[in-house]
Formats: sequence, structure tokens, C-alpha cells
Amino acid sequence: MQQCRERTRLLIGHGNEEALQMAKEIKANYLVEWILRPQEGLAMIKVRETARQTLFYLGEVLITETKVRIRGSIGLGILTGSHPDLSEALAVVDAAYRAGLPETGEWDRYWDQILEKEKVYKKINRAIREKTSVNFSTMQD
Amino acid sequence: MGYVAVQGGAEAIRESILLARYENCLDGTSISLTEIKANLKKMVDSVMSESSLYSPDLAALALKQAQGDPFEAIFLLRAHRSTLPRLYFTTVTDTAEMRVERRISASFKDILGGQILGASPDYQHRLLNWDLINETEADVIAFRDQYYAAILNAMEKTAEASFEEEGRFPKVVDSLRAQNLIPQPVLCDEEPRDITMEPLVFPSARSLRLQILTRGMTGAVTALGYAKIRGYGFNNHPTIGELRVGYLPLYVTSELSGVCEEYYIGEIEVTEVEAFMEEDRQEADEKNQLGIGLGYGLCFGANEIKAIAMSVLEHSMENPTPGDPTSDEEFVLLHVDTVEATGFVSHLKLPHYVTFQSKLDRIRDVQRGNNHHA
Repeated sequence: MQQCRERTRLLIGHGNEEALQMAKEIKANYLVEWILRPQEGLAMIKVRETARQTLFYLGEVLITETKVRIRGSIGLGILTGSHPDLSEALAVVDAAYRAGLPETGEWDRYWDQILEKEKVYKKINRAIREKTSVNFSTMQD
Repeated sequence: MGYVAVQGGAEAIRESILLARYENCLDGTSISLTEIKANLKKMVDSVMSESSLYSPDLAALALKQAQGDPFEAIFLLRAHRSTLPRLYFTTVTDTAEMRVERRISASFKDILGGQILGASPDYQHRLLNWDLINETEADVIAFRDQYYAAILNAMEKTAEASFEEEGRFPKVVDSLRAQNLIPQPVLCDEEPRDITMEPLVFPSARSLRLQILTRGMTGAVTALGYAKIRGYGFNNHPTIGELRVGYLPLYVTSELSGVCEEYYIGEIEVTEVEAFMEEDRQEADEKNQLGIGLGYGLCFGANEIKAIAMSVLEHSMENPTPGDPTSDEEFVLLHVDTVEATGFVSHLKLPHYVTFQSKLDRIRDVQRGNNHHA
């Protein structure tokens, strides 16, 4: 199981469908209590600028947040944009891992899919970057 | 002459709103938010930047409602923002973590990692593309698929190992810092001030100046930045050390589970500029020495001109020149906010019947007095 930071990065960045599927499995087997139904709000973005290495606020980003409880463990689902379903799924998956539910031990197939998608995504981005990468030596020939 | 408070016009106002809606529907077409985001991305970016709220969906909605008027759209988004609770502050976002899609330097030809042009209109002729008149959805899809196929083809030809990079590149400025050409700043963790939570007083804090500039009106920031370069203080113009467009990952922390943990929440597109400025520095022996200073710009979205102008103004206010209006923070900061500027100018359309009558009365009194003395 990945740490929370890495888990959420993969699910939000590349595993939306898998997160929804994982949550569906958990909801079929356990009582999921709402602590906070999906709500929209803001997160203020704190940035370190590079000229003097000070901090400032860049602005706010729209987020959707959900909190659920499964077998006494609280899960948080939070992501940018208006995505109530995905926010709920993230909260359920978070709670499932925190509660140590046995289903989470069988999700390697999902993680393999997600990692594969991330790999392809990076390849595509790299190929796009290389297409517009300037080769000055060629220009001088 | 006495003044009487009046009311009225409610029916006319209702009809005015209906007429505006009717005129917007005259052609019998409507544009979807997806179409706005796809076809007017730069405008969506500007609206997000000036409203200080990152949400392409809400910015597209605001633009649709405002019939494409960016001022009105920004006003709508700022108003909507005020109805939403602020639930989190992100952890400190380090721009070195940016997933870069475009990076150029006007200072050095060869930069570590190379220059990447990305998607930019800079290299296109400014000629109207008549093909767009009859462009269809099928044309768009065909081009997209053709380009994507070329990328997939390029992918297959590249060695697997080279794909491990995440689009992160070393900063150009770091090479100058390593050579002591630019001083290495001391890391400052002082909590930033927030212009949305406190009134602006002078002299202002650096964090407030940067926040006001990044949410400033693109045109105003650009015009004042241009004024600075053109002749109010600079002997020579700044040089772009590095301009980047890319995506910043955002994280928040939560202690829900009993321990403080970081959650990734997504990424936002930004433009970052580090501009080199010639500076006179006073050394310990009180001799003046020529050095290089850094101006900094960072904005939501692909917003290059504004980010460059921000870097110029930020540096100008940080290193003020007497008599230079663009280094007068009161002059700059009080006039670049879109909602404040457009709101004030727009209020001139509101009824001023009483105050104007009062002015007329004063003029008449003076004229009567003059005639009496004559």
C-alpha cells in the first residue's frame, strides 16, 4: 500500500476509474457513514517565489471535499474542481486503507493498471516535449 | 430647490434584462462550456488569473454568462468566490516541482535540459487563418488524431529509459547563483499576508504586492510594466532568464487520522517568469558594484505577457526609483485590480442625480454672486 500522498497522487492523476471501482467494492460490503457529504470550497495556494525565496498566496482553487467513516476509520476525499462522485470515492478508499479492510490487499491489479497508465502518460508528455525541443546546433548547420 | 427621493424603473429593468437575453439568443445558437474551454482557453486562463480563482469550468460559465466580457466574468467569479468557504491552505508549493510543458530563456542559448517551445503563438505569422471560417468538428478531430498518431510513432522510436523524467528541469537562475552572479537568498518562512482578508496599507508587505500583481488586470499590469521598461527608471531592459509554462502539483495536510498526512489534490497550470535586471549594489566597502537582480512573475494559466510584466513591476517596487510612478506601490497596487478599477468606472453609470444637482446649484450660486458684484 502506498503512503497517502502517493496514493492520492496516483488515484487523482491517473486512476479515476479505478478509484470509483474500489469504492464500489467497499460500499457493497460495508456500511459507509457520511461525516461530510461532497461539498465545494476553496484551497488557498501558498507558493515560494524564487527571487527572494519568500512565501505568497497565488490565489484559490476550487476543490471538492468529502469525509466518510468505515468501521470507525475516517477517510478524506479531496481534489481540485467540482467532482462529487470522485471525491466520495477517494474518501471511501482512504477510509478502507485506514481501517485495514481485507479488500485493499487485493487491489494490486488496480494499482498495476494505474501505474501502467501513468507510464504511458509520461511517455506521451515526454514525446510531445521532445517534438518542440530546440536543437540549436541543427539550426547552425 | 428641495430634493425628493424617487424610485422607479423596476419594469424597465426587468425588460432590459429580458432584452439582453433575447439579443444573446437572436442567432438561435448556444455554446457549451466544453467549447469555451477548448476554443477560448487563453481567455479562460486570464479570467481565472484576474478573479484569483482557479476553476476552468467556473471561468467558462462566467464567460458564457457575461457574453464574453472578461470584466463581467471576473466580477461574477469574484462574487461566487465570496460565497465559498475556504477549507484549506496548500502546503508550500515549490515551483521547481513544475511539470514543464514550455520553457524558454532569452538570456542563454544553451540551458541545462534545453529550450522547449511547447504550444505558443510566438512563432506564427499574424495572418488571419481563413480556413477556420469553415472548420468543422470533424476537421478538429481529424487533426487531433493525426497529431496524436505522430506522437505515438515518436514514442516508439525513443528508448524506454529516457521516459523516466517527469518534465522537471533545473532552473536557469540556479546556474547564475552557483557562479555568485546572483546572490543566494535566505529562505524565508514568514507566513504570507492575504489581501482578501486585510486592507491594503503602505508600505505594503512583499507577499501582498505579489498577490495583488498576480491577480491584477492583465492589461493594467502589462501597461505599467511596459511603462517601466520604456522609460521610467531603467537604463536597459530586463532579460528573461527563464519563462516556464507547466503544471504545479498541489498538496494539503490533514490530521483526520490522528497524524498529519499530506494529500495530493491535483495540479494547476501556471506561467512563471524569472527576469534578470541590472542592479547597482553597495558593497561592504561602500563602493557601488554592478550586479544582477531578479524580478519574479507567477500567474494562473498560460499567461506569459502578464507574468513578464509582473516580474518587471515586482522588481520595480522592490527597488524603487524616486519619481518613478511604476515603483510607487500606492500608484501601482491601487489601480491594477480588475474589479476595483472596472467597478469604480462602471459606477459612473449609476444615477448621480442629487450630487449633480448639488454641483449645478453651487455653480448657479457662484454665477449669481458674480452677477450681483458686477
